[in-house]
Amino acid sequence: MDIHQDTLDAYNDLISYIGVSELEIRSTSLQSLVSGTSKYIRDTKYNLRTLSENETISKKEAALISLSIAVNEKNSLLVKSFTQKAIEEGANDIEIGEVHSCTSLMGINNVLYRFRHFSTNKEYETMPAKLKMNIMMSPVLGKEFFELLSLCVSSVNGCEVCVASHEQSVRTHGGSAERIFTAVRLSAVVKGLSSLVY
Amino acid sequence: MARILSIGSEFPSYNKTAVVSLEKGKEFVQITNEDHKKLGKWMVMFWWPKDFTFVCPTEIAEFNNAYNDFVDRDTVLIGASTDSEFVHAAWRRDHDDLRGLKFPMLADTSKSLAEELGILEENEKIAYRVTFIIDPQGIIRWVCANDLNVGRSTKEVIRVLDGLQTDELCPCNWEKGQDTLLA
Repeated sequence: MDIHQDTLDAYNDLISYIGVSELEIRSTSLQSLVSGTSKYIRDTKYNLRTLSENETISKKEAALISLSIAVNEKNSLLVKSFTQKAIEEGANDIEIGEVHSCTSLMGINNVLYRFRHFSTNKEYETMPAKLKMNIMMSPVLGKEFFELLSLCVSSVNGCEVCVASHEQSVRTHGGSAERIFTAVRLSAVVKGLSSLVY
Repeated sequence: MARILSIGSEFPSYNKTAVVSLEKGKEFVQITNEDHKKLGKWMVMFWWPKDFTFVCPTEIAEFNNAYNDFVDRDTVLIGASTDSEFVHAAWRRDHDDLRGLKFPMLADTSKSLAEELGILEENEKIAYRVTFIIDPQGIIRWVCANDLNVGRSTKEVIRVLDGLQTDELCPCNWEKGQDTLLA
């Protein structure tokens, strides 16, 4: 076993774990990592795996969180593979649809609330948003998980107010700090992965 | 009794035969302490006293089930005892749980490695149930020794391995303290 073979093994292991085939990948990052016999390939699989097969979030939840970040990052290849994983773990069309809408809604709110937070003119905080956000009312995924998803996307998009308020909201609905931290770490990992595999 | 080689010591050099498969002609390979270092990987070597005994197969099977956990952590897994490679091969053929073993069974037939490691039981000159974790530079980072009848926990080995590997990743370069202040 030499280092080149070992790197190739790591590469095949990673893409098989994600559930994509070599032919589908347009990005060249993985090729560069293979040529550079990079340890990062194994680390990526390890990170993804330990956060997806975790005690604080279920495999289905992990798949749905990963899906939301893939949607956020407009990564159609990862959207496809995490959708597949979610379905394998028992997610139905309604739940999957809700992940898409939640992600998009966060795209809206992360801009709006961040604007209000950034602006020195506090008038905007009293002006109503007048945007329809019906899906927040009774999410099919349950309030706690919906808030958790919102927190994950907001963390990736970097809205301070959104992160703070959704974090509190998850805990109010019973989510533990450990669970929250796992979800955010997973989101971070998928964000990182999204740069490599598309 | 010889002292077990412990944390901070360099793992001894060795070049031993190991069983890696039951396919005719492909059963045996030579493995050395340089193999894992060349690949920049950690190494976990776990020893047991004798092939064909009771506690050992369950432990070995547990390690086998967790094989991917070691691979993901860039760690080479090796099982070892003082039995010869032929006894290893025979045991592997004989026992259901061992037939599909994914890692090598090292044969320390001369007992030289077990002796250097300080894990050779005095009477029968068989190895104690000892597990070593070795870093990519060949330094022993964890030793765990159980008395003959107690099986070990693979989960615990992985827990420790995770802890040790995380050490390496700390971005803050700790430097030995400056001169101490005089009171």
